[in-house]
Amino acid sequence: MAKSEDCIHILQGLLVFGNVVIGMCGIALTAECIYFVSDPHGLYPLLEATENDGIYAAAWIGIFVGFALFALSILGIIGIIKSDRTLLLVYIILMLITFAFEMASCITAATHRDFLTPNLFLKQMLERYQKAEPANNNDKWMTEGVTKTWDKLMLQNHCCGVLGPSDWQEYTSAFRSTHNDADFPWPRKCCAMDAQGLPVNLDGCKLGVPGYYNSNGCYDAISGPVNTHAWGVAWFGFAILCWTFCVLLGTMFYWSGIEY
Amino acid sequence: MLPLLPLLPLLLLLLPAAHGAVERVGYTPSLTKSPVLEGLTTGSTFVLDQPRCVFDKYSNADIWLVVALESTAANFSNSVAPGTAESAFQNFPDSVPAYMTLNATLANYPCPKPAGDITVLRVGSETSCSGDAARPTCNGPLPGPGPYLVKFLALEGSEPVAETGWSQPIMLRTAKSSNSISTTDGGHSAGMIALTTILSILFAILLAGLVAMFVFWGSDACGGSSTFSKPEAVSVRRYNTHHVYDQPAARL
Repeated sequence: MAKSEDCIHILQGLLVFGNVVIGMCGIALTAECIYFVSDPHGLYPLLEATENDGIYAAAWIGIFVGFALFALSILGIIGIIKSDRTLLLVYIILMLITFAFEMASCITAATHRDFLTPNLFLKQMLERYQKAEPANNNDKWMTEGVTKTWDKLMLQNHCCGVLGPSDWQEYTSAFRSTHNDADFPWPRKCCAMDAQGLPVNLDGCKLGVPGYYNSNGCYDAISGPVNTHAWGVAWFGFAILCWTFCVLLGTMFYWSGIEY
Repeated sequence: MLPLLPLLPLLLLLLPAAHGAVERVGYTPSLTKSPVLEGLTTGSTFVLDQPRCVFDKYSNADIWLVVALESTAANFSNSVAPGTAESAFQNFPDSVPAYMTLNATLANYPCPKPAGDITVLRVGSETSCSGDAARPTCNGPLPGPGPYLVKFLALEGSEPVAETGWSQPIMLRTAKSSNSISTTDGGHSAGMIALTTILSILFAILLAGLVAMFVFWGSDACGGSSTFSKPEAVSVRRYNTHHVYDQPAARL
């Protein structure tokens, strides 16, 4: 039976190690999701206005799943060392529930990331940026959020529109209905600004002279952080789930072999 | 006298024509090519090169820009005076075929053009006077997408003395409705499909394992040899059963 004893101890050791890793990954997942929910790039108003903020929902779920993974991993370690059938059964069932939640979070993050195309942001920007007459309070809140976010984006990233300043020329917009085309071919924030926040050369900006206006589109500045957020939640969660799958299978096997 | 009478009006007609022959200079107005401008044409403005080194012989002339629609340019007459209702921006294109604006003299267009300077004329940039009938020479925003033809006309006093040819037709930009932007053509990325598939399979396997656990609860499904005991289990020892040993015959 010595060989069997060794096998038991190896299996126990592996499962304890597996649970330790799950616990640490749970803490890491919680920390990562808290970082994303805190919205360091200030892009949440844009997603809220598109009503496509699923990646934020996925991050919120990730926070709680991370805590659950940490707590359950401690339960698992205790259950394996004591070889207690009841504890391990509770552990397996709760872990399966947590697995299901984390699976939902990963799939939500990945699916909603696919919705965030340039056209989505373009349409929203044209319809909401500096919209003059919001229909109700909710509309007003979203319009203000979108306008402030775009102003900040265009100033800080030296960009204009989603694909370029021509967005404002190619399509009608709420902005165009209140600002005439000759004075405002594109918003003032697209102009190169000096230290006081005034355009360096307004005529140069209106003409579109290189150097006096922002010629790039802002899509890269938006999609970079959004992609990091979505893929960070989705793929890290996927990695944790693959590892958890192996540990759970091992625990199920261990459980079925315990005498009672 | 009688035979001379029909000739008199003819002579009178010929006299002004002989006096005001309008020179056609070999220059065609065109949109600015260098530097490349983002706002070369917008919904209501466009940008022309200044006519440098074109009207050098006419240092006393006023150089006007004439803007017409392609369909009305033929109806424009050089004898129309600028600053009147016949050439007013506000009446274009409803009642006048063209309007005259952007008055300048040769001093405004020095020749040669200094290298590095951007010398352009933005047609349509004055928004404050576009409805003001007292400002007929307003450089107001253009009322439609065109196509427009432009030419420069040099006037000395009120006599036209030189003109350029009509430009190529200039089309302005028209804006599409933002409703025409389609936001549902994204599709699903390969990563998302792979992630969903693999996670679903893993979850299914785990559920199957859970069901197997309950089904085989208590029975040694994996065989007795792999059953392992808890640490505090008692191990069975082999006992030697007492029996009478066969004594060798020599001891008796």
